Amino acid sequence: MPPTESDVLRGTLDLLILKTLTLAPMHGWGISQRIQEHSRGVLDVNQGSLYPALQRLEQRDLITSVWQTTENNRRAKYYTLTVAGRRAVGAETAQWRRYVMAVESILQTT
Amino acid sequence: MPIKALRLRLRALLQRDAVEQELNDEIRFHIEQETEKNIRLGMSAHEARRQALIVFGGVERAKEDYRDGRGDRPLADLRSDVRQTLRTFRRNPTFVAAVVTTLALGIGANVAIFSAVSAVMLRPLPFPQPDRLAMLWEDNDEKGWSQQTAAPANMLDWQEQVRAFSGLAGYQDFFEQSSLETPTGPRVVNGVAVTGGFFNVLGVRPALGATFTEADTWASGKRVAVVSDQTWRQHLGADPGIVGRTVTLDGRPVQVIGVMPPDFTFPTNDTGLWTPIAWDPADRGQVWFRRGHWMRPFARLRDGVTFEQARTELQTVMGRLETQYPATNTRMKAGLGPLREFRVGPTRTPLLVLLGATGLLLLIACANIGNLLLVRAASREREVVLRRALGAGRGRIARQTLTESFVLSLMGGAAGLALGWWGTRALVALQPAGLLPVADVRPDLRVFTFVLVLSTLSALLFGLAPALWSARRNAVDILKESGRTSSESRRMRRWGNALAIGEVALALMLTVGAGLLLRSFWHLTRVEPGFESRGVLAVSLAFHPGRYQELAGVTGFLQQLRARVGGLHGVDGAALSSRLPLSKNTGWTSDFAVRGQPISETSREIMHREVGPGYFRTMRVPLVSGRDFTGTDRAGAERVAIINQAMADQHFRGRDPVGEMIAFDREPDTTSIWHRIVGVAGSEHQKSLGEPPRPEVFTALEQTPRRGVHVVIRTATDPHLLVPAVEGVISELDPGMPVLTAVTMDDAKSRSLARERFLATLLLAFASVGALLSIVGVYGVVAQLALRRTNEMNIRIALGAQAAQVRWLVVRHGLTLVGAGVVTGCILSAALGGAVRKLLYGVGPLDPFTFVVMPACLLLTGLVASWIPAVRATRTDPAGALRSE
Repeated sequence: MPPTESDVLRGTLDLLILKTLTLAPMHGWGISQRIQEHSRGVLDVNQGSLYPALQRLEQRDLITSVWQTTENNRRAKYYTLTVAGRRAVGAETAQWRRYVMAVESILQTT
Repeated sequence: MPIKALRLRLRALLQRDAVEQELNDEIRFHIEQETEKNIRLGMSAHEARRQALIVFGGVERAKEDYRDGRGDRPLADLRSDVRQTLRTFRRNPTFVAAVVTTLALGIGANVAIFSAVSAVMLRPLPFPQPDRLAMLWEDNDEKGWSQQTAAPANMLDWQEQVRAFSGLAGYQDFFEQSSLETPTGPRVVNGVAVTGGFFNVLGVRPALGATFTEADTWASGKRVAVVSDQTWRQHLGADPGIVGRTVTLDGRPVQVIGVMPPDFTFPTNDTGLWTPIAWDPADRGQVWFRRGHWMRPFARLRDGVTFEQARTELQTVMGRLETQYPATNTRMKAGLGPLREFRVGPTRTPLLVLLGATGLLLLIACANIGNLLLVRAASREREVVLRRALGAGRGRIARQTLTESFVLSLMGGAAGLALGWWGTRALVALQPAGLLPVADVRPDLRVFTFVLVLSTLSALLFGLAPALWSARRNAVDILKESGRTSSESRRMRRWGNALAIGEVALALMLTVGAGLLLRSFWHLTRVEPGFESRGVLAVSLAFHPGRYQELAGVTGFLQQLRARVGGLHGVDGAALSSRLPLSKNTGWTSDFAVRGQPISETSREIMHREVGPGYFRTMRVPLVSGRDFTGTDRAGAERVAIINQAMADQHFRGRDPVGEMIAFDREPDTTSIWHRIVGVAGSEHQKSLGEPPRPEVFTALEQTPRRGVHVVIRTATDPHLLVPAVEGVISELDPGMPVLTAVTMDDAKSRSLARERFLATLLLAFASVGALLSIVGVYGVVAQLALRRTNEMNIRIALGAQAAQVRWLVVRHGLTLVGAGVVTGCILSAALGGAVRKLLYGVGPLDPFTFVVMPACLLLTGLVASWIPAVRATRTDPAGALRSE
C-alpha cells in the first residue's frame, strides 16, 4: 500500500530522528536542535510532534530511553539507537532515496 | 505485537501516573531548554518562554497524540465515564438505592435457587465416571409396580448373567435406625445393609481404612461396619485410630473397618453407617429369596456399552428367569436408568418451578428498573442536549448511559450475590429433611458465572432502551418542550405503561402459582388420615438379637410395657404396632388369596402390619365390622387377621369379609397359613396424605412378632409431656433398652406435609415480592403521569369539575394498567399451568377460585396504589396552579 501523506511525513520524521541519533545519544530537545541545525534552518520541525514519534520508535524497538542528568544537573530522557535501529537507518535511507527519485522522475517528464 | 511495544503499553496502563509525570517532565525540560536558548539569543524571559511555546506547537496536542499512541484511549474514556457515573450516583442516592435493592432482590432469589439446582441437578455425582452408573429395578404391570425394589435372587442372577455390567451391587431398601454406644450414651444412627461390591462398583475410596469386598455379601461370622464422616466426628470423637476398633452396635460388638469421606452420601444424605448384608449362602436357592423384593441394585456399565444395550440384555436375562421360575417371576420385568435420574427425579419439578418463579421475579425487577431509568433519562434530557452542544458525540453519550447501567447492574449483582448466598444457607437450613438429596449446597463457580451472565443481561436489558432513547432525540425538540404533552413524552408514557402492564402480568403468574400451591397444601391438610392424630405419642423400640435372643422375651416385655404405660397418669390407652401410618417405611407387602374366591386379574398386593390389641381404639380408627384383637389371639391359637376398608372395598364388594379365610400366597398350597378375618377397620393413609390408602391386613403381634415395634399412647393432655414418664417405664423394665424415637403423631402428620408446605411458602414469598415490585412499578407510572398532569387537573377543578371526577382520571389510569396486566397474566398462566400440574393436589392448574382471587387482590392493591397519587395531585391549590401557568 503506497504511503499516505501523513505516513510519509511521519516516516520522514522517524528517519531524521534515527539519523540524528547515529551520531550520539540525545534527549528530545537536543534532537530537535540538531535537525534544525543540520537542515540549515529549512526543516522547522513542529517540536511537539517529536515526542509521539519518539514513542513510536521506542515501541518498534528501534531506540531505547533512559533518564540521565545533563551537564546542568537537570534530569532528561536520553534516547539511544538499538542494533535494530542502526540497521533500520540504512534501510529507511535507501527507501527514502528511492521515493525521492520516483517523485523526481515524474516531475521531470511533465 | 512486539514485546517491547507490549511492555511499554502495559507499563502505561499499570503505572499511569508515573508515565504521565515522565511525559510532563520531558516536555517541561524541552520548553526550559528552548527558553534558555531564546534568552541567550537576547529575548526577555517572558518573551523567551512565549516563543518557546509557540515553536513547540501546542503542548496539549502533543500530549494527546502521545497518549493516543499509547493506545489506552478507550480505557481512559472508560475510567472517566465510571468516575462521572459514581459522581452522579452520589448525588442521587435514593435512585441508586432503589435500583440496587430491586436488582439485588431479583438476582438474590435466582442465586439461592440456582445454587440448589446446580448442586442437585448439574453437579456430577461424586463418583468416578458417574454417568456409567445405572439404577436397576423391577416392574410388574399386573401388580402395578414401576421402578420397584428387586428380589435378591434376581439381583444375584443379573450380576452373574448380564455381561454389559462390569460390576453390580445393591442396598437394602429399608433404613434401620441402629443404636450406637458412645461415651455419652446410646445414639441413633441410620444404617443401611449393602452387598459386598457396594463401594467398589461406585468407585469410591474410604478416607480411612478399607471398605467391603465381594465376599462380604455372604455371612462370614465377623461383624464389620463402615461409618460415615459425620458419624465418625459426632459419635466416635473423630478418633484417628478408629480403624480396627470395636464398637457396640445394637448391643453387639462390631468392628469399624473404614471411614468414608465427607461428601459421600449414598444412598441418602443421612446415612451414617454401612454394614455388609451377610446373607446365608443356603438362602440362595430358597423361594422366598426370589419372592420378596427389598433390594435396590445398581450397576456400572462396561466401557463402550450404551444404556440401551444394557437394558436389552437385562430384559433378556429377566425373560429367561421368568421361564425358569414361574412361581415367583411371572410378569416380572426389569429396567434400568441413569443413577443420577433416580437421585434427582423427585426434586426436579419443584426445583424447576422455583427457578421459573425466580426468573419471573427477575424480569419484574428489570422492568421496574427500566422504568426508573427511563424516567431518569427523560429528566436529564436538557443536560444531554448541552453536552451534545459542547461536542460530545452520540455514541459517547450512549456509552455513558450504558456505563451507568453496567455499574448499577454490577452493584446490584454483587448485592444479589450476597443476598443469594445468605438465602442459600437459609434454604438448606429450613428445608424439610431430605428434600434436597445433596448435603452440600453452596454457590459455586457455576453460580458465579450465572450471576455474571444475569447481571450483564440485566444491564443490557434495561440499559439499552434509555441509551437508545438518549441517542435518538433531537436537540431542538428537547429544548422546545416545556413539559406538556408532545409526541416524545407520549412515547415515553407508552413505554412506561407497557412496562407496568408487563410487570403486573408476570406478578400475576407468580401469585397464581403460589395460590395454586397454597390451595393444594390446604386441601392436603384437610385430608382425613384415617386416625386421630391429636394427643398421640409414638415411641419406637428395637429388640435386637443381642439382648433378646428369644422372641418370647420380646412378647413378655411388650405385654408388661403396655400394661405399665397404660396405667400411667394421663394415659387413655396404649397399644403396639409394627409400623406407623404416614411414615416413609411402608413395611412389607405380599400376594394374597381368599378361600373360595377365584384368582382375579386385578392388583393382588396387600400391605402388612402387625398390631397388638387396642391399637384401633387408641388411634381412634373406626372398627367397621367384627372385632379387634384380644388377649386370646396369641401364639398357638387360630391365626386371625383384620383387614382395612380399602381391602374390603376392593375384594369383598358388598359382602361382609368377617369369617372369610385369607392366605398370603399367590396360589395357596398345603404350606400356606390361613388366617380368619375377624374384623374390618377404617383405612389409614400408610405413606402420605396425598396418596389414597392401600389395601392392608393386620395380623396379631403376638402371633407374628417383630423386632421393631412402636408403642402408641393416647392422652388427653400434651403428648410431649408423657415422654419422660414413658422412658422411665422402659428403663425400669430394661435399663439398657434405647428409645429410638419419640414423636407425636401430630408432628408426624405435619412432617409428612413438610415438602408441600415448604414449596408453597417459598413460592408465596417470591410471589409477594413480585407483586410488591409490580405494584410499586404501577404506582411509579401513575404517580409520574399524575404529576405531569397536576396543572391540568387543577385547572379542571378551578373550572368547576368535581375533585372526585378528576381523581377518577388518575385511578382509572392505574386500574387500566393493572387490569391489562392481570388479563395478560391470566392468559399466560393458563397457557403455562401444565408445568405445575405434578405438584398440585385437589386443584387443577386452571382452578377458578385462584384465578379470581389473585387478580382481585392485585386489582385492589392497584386501586390503592393509584389512589395515593390521585389524592396528592388534587390537593394543591387550584388557583395557584392557574397563576403558575
